Amino acid sequence: MTDVVEAVRTPPAVMGLYDGPMWASIREGTMRLQRCLNCGEMQYPPGPVCPHCLSSNLEWQPISGRGTIVSWVVYHRTYLAAYPEPYNVVAVKLAEGPFMASNLEGETPAQSWIGAPVRMVYSTMLDGTVLPRFTLAATSAGKTP
Amino acid sequence: MSSSANPFVNAGRPASSRLSRAAAIVGVGHSDWVGDWKRTRAGEKPSDGYGYGAIAFREALADSGLKRDDIDGLIAGPATAYERLSEVLGIDPRWGDQADAVLSVIKAITAVESGLAETIALVYGNDQRSAKIQYGGPQAMGGDAFLSYVYHAPWGLTSQGALYALTFQAWKHARGFEGDDLGYVAVAQRAWSSMNPNAIQRKRITLDDYRNAPYICEPLRLFDYCQINDGGVALIVTTAERAARLGKPPVYIQGFGRRDLNQGATSLEPRLTDYYRPAQEDCARQAYEMAGFGPADMDMLQVYDSFSVHVPLALEGYGYCKIGEVRRFFREQGIGPGGKLPINTSGGHLSETYMQGWAHQIECVRQLRGECGERQVPNCRHAHYTSDVCGNAVSIVYSR
Ligand SMILES: [Zn+2]
Repeated sequence: MTDVVEAVRTPPAVMGLYDGPMWASIREGTMRLQRCLNCGEMQYPPGPVCPHCLSSNLEWQPISGRGTIVSWVVYHRTYLAAYPEPYNVVAVKLAEGPFMASNLEGETPAQSWIGAPVRMVYSTMLDGTVLPRFTLAATSAGKTP
Repeated sequence: MSSSANPFVNAGRPASSRLSRAAAIVGVGHSDWVGDWKRTRAGEKPSDGYGYGAIAFREALADSGLKRDDIDGLIAGPATAYERLSEVLGIDPRWGDQADAVLSVIKAITAVESGLAETIALVYGNDQRSAKIQYGGPQAMGGDAFLSYVYHAPWGLTSQGALYALTFQAWKHARGFEGDDLGYVAVAQRAWSSMNPNAIQRKRITLDDYRNAPYICEPLRLFDYCQINDGGVALIVTTAERAARLGKPPVYIQGFGRRDLNQGATSLEPRLTDYYRPAQEDCARQAYEMAGFGPADMDMLQVYDSFSVHVPLALEGYGYCKIGEVRRFFREQGIGPGGKLPINTSGGHLSETYMQGWAHQIECVRQLRGECGERQVPNCRHAHYTSDVCGNAVSIVYSR
């Protein structure tokens, strides 16, 4: 069993000083990011100060999970056991502003991927890692006109 | 966005005009890329990064007519330690540094002009292929840095290729560019490399070959990727005064510029919104002002091409064609042999060898000297080299 889990180990997340609280919130199923209480901007990845105004007055707040696809790719080579080809990577602009790389689960867009509205879901990988991913928001699913 | 609407508050002036033509490249050399490609493919390890650097340095010294004792400065490329490289080359420099291809040239100019050193060797050696260095996958670059393809590894985004595939996907959507039109880059560069005895891939390809090749990271196909290889490259930079006394025609550094877009870099925002164009435009503004001329006067363009994607982005960003006109430029102007704008005349990273921008510098020198035989660009007077690796846009204009 250990070997099986090891074989599909999710590539580990970078754990800088400010990443821990974000990953804890992801495991709890409500992703939080730091909002600057001085200028109101949210940042991703998490960091020590607000890069917009340099304030240290940051507060962890849940994000809406809404976003829009700004780009996408499909890997046709397997580099990692956890990610057999083909698999996609999407870049999503979160409603709160920051960009985030992730994967699109389930149905793929019937028309253009770019511009498709998405919402965040929490996926549990085979090794137990919880990842924030996206599915198409209802309005852009392939089946609807 | 035009250069008159500069987005940078601290736009700055171009580097002092006194640096223009203050220094010249007087010697170039490289290791046996073709031979070592065959040997590493057969499982051999012909040398290590220091050894490849030493071979290239020996060649560059011979090319310049200088002796090793004339060298009083050394810049080591990114894959070798500076102190050990000095030791291997038998040099005690009075000035030294470590830098990538294009920044090493700029650092050498400033060192030479300010008198920190007079004659500087720039030496790159890399055993990336035989050492199985990964530029993607879980071990890439040590796996623990805030490089975007490390930060996004939990989602399987673990390669530089995927980052440029994401950029290209967004750019082609915005421009209405057909994905297969990117094939013009690989086809043109292979046409150039077919005339380059130092290139490891010399078989011409067609647009059909391009389209029929598999996707690696869609929308990028096999021929959009560079040729990772072992090897070394060396250049010797000295003062204009000393250069004039040497045997080969000096190739002067006429202008340069730089702008880095680091804000939002990990989240990929700058590569997906404006595709690094603000950095390229500001870099271009500085380089052209310092050089005293612009894209219309360039006889050739060398673009850092880990992936073919860099070429269309550079054409827009450095003012060679209008936004949205790259497709027409490829079809009607041409970038291959006989085209209006020769690009990557050695075959570049896609076809000659992936020397992380270093081989592009010596191709500029050889074209400006008129040493390129069958692939020689007629009456080549000005060559523009540019790299925009992950939002760090740097340009050098080389002139006779
Ligand atoms: Zn702020």
